[in-house]
Parts: sequence; C-alpha cells; structure tokens
Amino acid sequence: MAKVLSEKFYAEMKKLEPRYPTKVALLLPALHAAQDELGWLSSETMEEIGSYIGIHPAQVKEVASFYTMYNLKPVGKYHLKICTNVACCLRGAYDVVEHTEKKLGIKVGQTTPDKQFTLHEEECLGACGTAPAMMLNNDYVENLDIRKMDEVLAKLGVKG
Amino acid sequence: MPKCTIDGREVEFKAGENLIEVARKVGIEVPYFCYHPALTVVAQCRMCAVEVEKMPKLQTACSTPAAEGMVVRTNSERAKQNQKSIMEFLLINHPLDCPICDKAGECDLQDNSYKYGDAYMRTSEERRTYLDLDMGPVIKKNMNRCIHCTRCIRFGTEVAGIHEMVAVQRGNNTEITTIDGRPLETDYAGNYADICPTGSLTLKDFRFHKRAWMLKKTATVCEGCSKGCNMEIHQDNNVIHRTVPRANPEINKYWLCDEGRFNYHYVVDPKRVTAPKVGAERSTWHAAVAEAKARLHGKKVVVLAGTDLTLEEAKLLQDFVPKAFPGSALLHFGTPGIETTAKDAPADKILKRKSKTSNLNGFEKLGIKPLESMPAADAILVVRGGRAQLPKVEGLSNVIGLGVFTESESASFAAVLPGTSFAEKDGTIVNYEGREQRLRRAITPVGQSKALGEVLMLWLHSGAAKEAAV
Repeated sequence: MAKVLSEKFYAEMKKLEPRYPTKVALLLPALHAAQDELGWLSSETMEEIGSYIGIHPAQVKEVASFYTMYNLKPVGKYHLKICTNVACCLRGAYDVVEHTEKKLGIKVGQTTPDKQFTLHEEECLGACGTAPAMMLNNDYVENLDIRKMDEVLAKLGVKG
Repeated sequence: MPKCTIDGREVEFKAGENLIEVARKVGIEVPYFCYHPALTVVAQCRMCAVEVEKMPKLQTACSTPAAEGMVVRTNSERAKQNQKSIMEFLLINHPLDCPICDKAGECDLQDNSYKYGDAYMRTSEERRTYLDLDMGPVIKKNMNRCIHCTRCIRFGTEVAGIHEMVAVQRGNNTEITTIDGRPLETDYAGNYADICPTGSLTLKDFRFHKRAWMLKKTATVCEGCSKGCNMEIHQDNNVIHRTVPRANPEINKYWLCDEGRFNYHYVVDPKRVTAPKVGAERSTWHAAVAEAKARLHGKKVVVLAGTDLTLEEAKLLQDFVPKAFPGSALLHFGTPGIETTAKDAPADKILKRKSKTSNLNGFEKLGIKPLESMPAADAILVVRGGRAQLPKVEGLSNVIGLGVFTESESASFAAVLPGTSFAEKDGTIVNYEGREQRLRRAITPVGQSKALGEVLMLWLHSGAAKEAAV
C-alpha cells in the first residue's frame, strides 16, 4: 500500500519516541502530527499509524474517535469551532452559530462545497472570561458577536 | 482460612477472591453483566454493587476482594434500589425485541431484568438506534441491544489476542464495532456470541434456528483436534442446532474455536451417506454386508481405522480384524503429516492442536500402528468416524467404507456401510495429554446408520460368507 504519511512525519516520530515509556504512548502525538499534515485522519492514515506503532488499526480508530479534536472527516481550509458551553452560551454563542450557519450556508458539522469552511460546535475552550470564543484553526478569536464574526469571515473572503 | 459474612452467613474464602465468587460458594447470587471469571475486572456495569459495612458507598462485588471480618449485604434496601436503577438505565436504550431475539431464554439482561428490575419504565424518549454492521461469516451484530459491557473487547485482547473489536465514539454514542465493519479475523469468533450478555452479538450459524429453551443439551467433548475441549451439543428433534463450550478450567476454560464449534455440520450434511450402498446404488444392510464380505473374501486385506473413532471402537476392530481377515494389518490414519503423537503440537497459542482428530493418543495406547505408506493390498476396509482425513484410495477397486462418508468421498467405494459420528455414540477418547474423556450420544444415528459394534455383529453372523465363498 502506498504510504500516506511523509518522511517528515516519520522523522518527527523518531524524535518523539524516546520521550515515552512505550511505543503505544506515541499514538496520540502521532495522530496529532498526521492531522497537522493531512488535515484529517482517513482510514488509510490510521492503518499506517497502526502498523508503525505495532497495534491493530481498530485500536487506532478507537482512540481517534474518542477524542473530538481529531477530524475523522475532511475539513475545509478554515475550521471554525465555536464554543457553546455555559459562559459562551449565556453571552450569545448560539446567535453567532446561527448567524454563521446562515452566512456560510451550511449546518454545524458540515463543510462548504468549495472546501473552504467547516463549522463545529466546541466544548469549553477555557476562554470564559472573554466569551463567546471560537477557534479558527489553531488560533483563538474572543469576545465574539455577530459583527465581529462578519469581520472575521470578510477577512477570509466571505462576501456580503 | 479467613472468613467473611455475606447476608448473615459466614463464608470461608481464599485471599484474592472477589465477593461475587465468595457469595456464589454459599449459593448467594450477585447479578452482574460486565464481570466474567476469565477476563479482567472493569466494574463498569455497576450491577453487582453490594453494601459492605463500614464503607460509606456501595461497592462493586466484582472488584472488591473479600477481607477478613467483612460484613456484606447483597440484598439490603440500598443494594436492591441500585439494582433497580441500573436495570432502568440499561433498558433506556434496549429494544423490547425479546420475541425475535435469539438470546431470549438465555439472556443475562432478560433474566436480571425479570429478577431485579422493575416491570415499568418512566422514559418515553426514542431509543438510540444504529444500522447493523456485518462482522464476517460468524457473528451478526445488533448494536441496538448492546449495553456496553465490553466483554467482547476484553475477550478479543486478552484471550483471542487481537484487538479487532473496539468501542468507537464515547458516552451514549459508544458503538462496539470492528474497523469499518471489517470481518472478524480471529478463529475464535463464536465465543463473542457466548460471552455477550445480551443479543447484541449472535451466531449467524444459529440465528433464527431454534428458541434456546427448546434445545436439549448433552455434555460431550469436541472431536475437532487432540485438545479435547469440553462442549455441549444442543439438539431438538434429533437435529443438532449448535454446539457451545462447556467450562473446564483445565482444558478449554470457557472457550471453543470456530473449527470445533461448527464441526458438527457434517453429521446432518445432506451429502452424508446414511443408507447402505453397493457401488453407487442404495441398497439394504443385508445386501451391502454381503457385497462387502464377498469383495474382501480371500483377498489380501488392509484395514484402515480413522483416529476419530473411540477407544471402544478401536478395541472392537483390534479383536475383529484377526478373526475376519487373519494376517491382515490394522493401521490408523487421521491428519496427514501428524501420524504420531510425537508430531502433534499446539497449532496456535490458545486451544487448537495440529492433530485434527480426537483420539490419536488412544490409538497409540492400544498399540495400533500408523499408516505411513499404503501397503500392497488387493482390498481395503476403511473405518472412520467422519473427521479423519481419508488417505488416497482412488484407483483401487475393492474399497469398502464403514462409518461416516459423504457421497463424493465414497464415490469410488465398492460398498458403504454407514456408521455413526461423534454425536451419535457413547465412547472414550484420549486427548494429547492422556486425559480420558467421554463422548456422549446426543442424537440417535441419522438415517439407517448403525453403531460399529452392530455392523461387526452383522458381518460375523450373517450367512452371506458361505454363499460368497461358493
């Protein structure tokens, strides 16, 4: 089977390996590295990680599906994760979610047809002091409201 | 020995035994789902929680080792209330499809619900539902019935040695599955259905064949290899519907491999010869025995006996052969390449062994020699129980089959005298370590098949020998 993961990935794993007591402990960082590289975790990716670590691919899937921050479906170029836990919810996070859904023309959990945006609800981001908050790929955007969301989306090239 | 008190009764225990095992010693039942004596303890179903004096909360009996002076109450109000609540939780998402579920009648969830649960439920929400994924040729999954006990996952990793059954997602959405619904790889997949406490994992082979309470059970031994795993034959109306493992901590623990589990099929195979045959034609017992005797009369005969026969049958042959064919050799056959017990070895790390017949050791004990190369002979009498692999006898004209054969196996035989399989007779087999175990007759012989002793009596006492000699 053709390899999905790059030499860079394997080099990084080599570097990380001495940090952990067992090779199985490398699973979470390996999944993170693979997701950074490919954007999401396909069955082929998980299979390759499984054979690299020496565990059954089902075991990789078990772990990857447990944690919500691993994407098991392809995501768009910009991945919006809006927090809807108590603090953000009270400060209007659901209004922002609804507005964003309308603006992008997708529902939570979906990706725009042009593969640019994916929208997800997120559990607490630990930014309750600046609620509502969201993650745009790996960056925080805080003190959200509809106007600020519009600005963010405009910067990313969404018209109107 | 240390002692503890359970429900007011003093019980002796060995250090390390948990409360479920200790309570069982005095006949006190603690209900449980996720606990299994051969698997690690996870204490996640919470059904077995009992009250222990001086402990503020209920303790799960499966994960609490008994201690000196411990006072346990398994049926206190709190414990009972807990059982009721757990049953209610588990049944929130469990469908009420017992009437069409194969597990009904032998289902832990059903039994415990009846005994410890409430007949009414307070929820009216829709139940969570899943599409069923295929799990290969052995197991059919119905995720709706699952209660997340993870026995199957632990069986896979701890016994079968393969982590193919997994729990994906989490919390209420947890789903037991193989990766993308791939077929199960292990040769021990049938056990998944046995240890499932609900009808979530069922055997495709048994699905919708028979209700569990209609089956008559016979304790016997598997004849699939020289291991001698203990099992039960379940039959109704002389039809075997399934075989299941019977616990024996010294041999097979609680397990059975798929090869042994589905081995019984040849007994009811429509291609099995169950009426006497002369050439390709169905015949009568009288005519077939006469034909067989005529074919072997005055020839240089070799008698081949399968190592799937019992000790008693082998002994009968040992007495019969010198009488019927003086000077003839009696040789045994079974698994190509494994002619002696010295060549027998474990075939995997769990149960299977290389000798694919049950009684190789017994034949050696009786001093019967193995068939290494076919000796020069004008006629051959093949006797076998149905599992031993036939040596090459095609091309020889005077071959008589006595025992269990299929139509195609016996196509070149001059005559077939149908005999009995392991499920149709009593007898003793000796496993690889010299352990003598009894096969028990579960069903009456299929069709016109006769036990070996009866056939040999017919042979010796029918007058046909004189006619044929003339």
